[in-house]
Amino acid sequence: MAKSLPVAVESDSSEKWEAQMRKGCLEMAVLASLWHGKLYGLEILRTLERDSQLILSEGTIYPILNRLRTEGLLQAQWVEAEAGHPRKYYELTAAGRERAGRMAEMWTEFSAGLGSLIEPVLKLARKTSLGRSRKESWL
Amino acid sequence: MTNDARVNEYLAELRRALTGMTVAEREDIVEEIRTHIRERAGDALANIDETLAGLGPAQELAEQYRTGLLVQKARRSISPLLILRAALRWALTGVEGTVVFLIAVFGYLMGVGFLLLALLKPIFPQRTGLWIGPDAFEFTIRTGVLPGSTPALHEVLGWWFIPVCAIIGSLALIATTKLLQFLMKRFRWRNPLAQAILATGALTTGWGSLG
Repeated sequence: MAKSLPVAVESDSSEKWEAQMRKGCLEMAVLASLWHGKLYGLEILRTLERDSQLILSEGTIYPILNRLRTEGLLQAQWVEAEAGHPRKYYELTAAGRERAGRMAEMWTEFSAGLGSLIEPVLKLARKTSLGRSRKESWL
Repeated sequence: MTNDARVNEYLAELRRALTGMTVAEREDIVEEIRTHIRERAGDALANIDETLAGLGPAQELAEQYRTGLLVQKARRSISPLLILRAALRWALTGVEGTVVFLIAVFGYLMGVGFLLLALLKPIFPQRTGLWIGPDAFEFTIRTGVLPGSTPALHEVLGWWFIPVCAIIGSLALIATTKLLQFLMKRFRWRNPLAQAILATGALTTGWGSLG
């Protein structure tokens, strides 16, 4: 019988795994956030938080934007804003739009492929957590 | 220290740490971060601690910029030195980087090794060559007992050894460079981590359920 991990270790490795997962999809998320038009850095952060619950540290987004720009996937422009200071707006280039589309396709195909594999795991996990919460409500 | 002074100090540290890029690139980055701080903290810079903490230490922020740009430059470059530097920096970030770095080291060492042998042939003509024997097939420079005194082991290429080694060495350098450029390009967006995310069903269950 498999030995279960100590709770603290299990929780720690789950957190690391989740952090790595989120990190891995950042490029796609950033490109997707610009799909409907140009945004500046803080707006991109807020869009990601609002639409994908992908909460980034603020120091993470700007180097990614800079790299995507040098790769030719984004273009940037300083625009005078009502706020009284200029803002640097980003928008997708044609290559960026194409890349975002291909990434979205890959994402969907991969997700569909593995969805059936994890479905029983998910069902059992939900049942267990439901049972646990009912038990707690009785107590 | 006033809030303004703290922001200026942070930006000055960032500017110093942003090496390996043009002045215009550096100033563009600094200006964008200044704008972010201003937007986030408000005109009175009320939440300055929180804002600067969100950005992280200036050195680390600069490091993220430098890593991204170095890998980007290396993808276009044919300089083994630049590619090795980028691979080393990448190696520090995870397993895929380490694999790329090991490929880089192996490929370039092999290339340089063959070129070195080509150069050594005129200096040690009797000892350098392609040695063939019952258990040997070696491009090498032999030390100790002079080759030829062992009848079973003999050198087969003669002076052809020089062009053969030069060609193999050059091909190894070119192939390693091309392979690394390809891997850097491929890994940039076909990141295995991104694929791992798909396996979680995060798309359908939403990020919140992962927390």
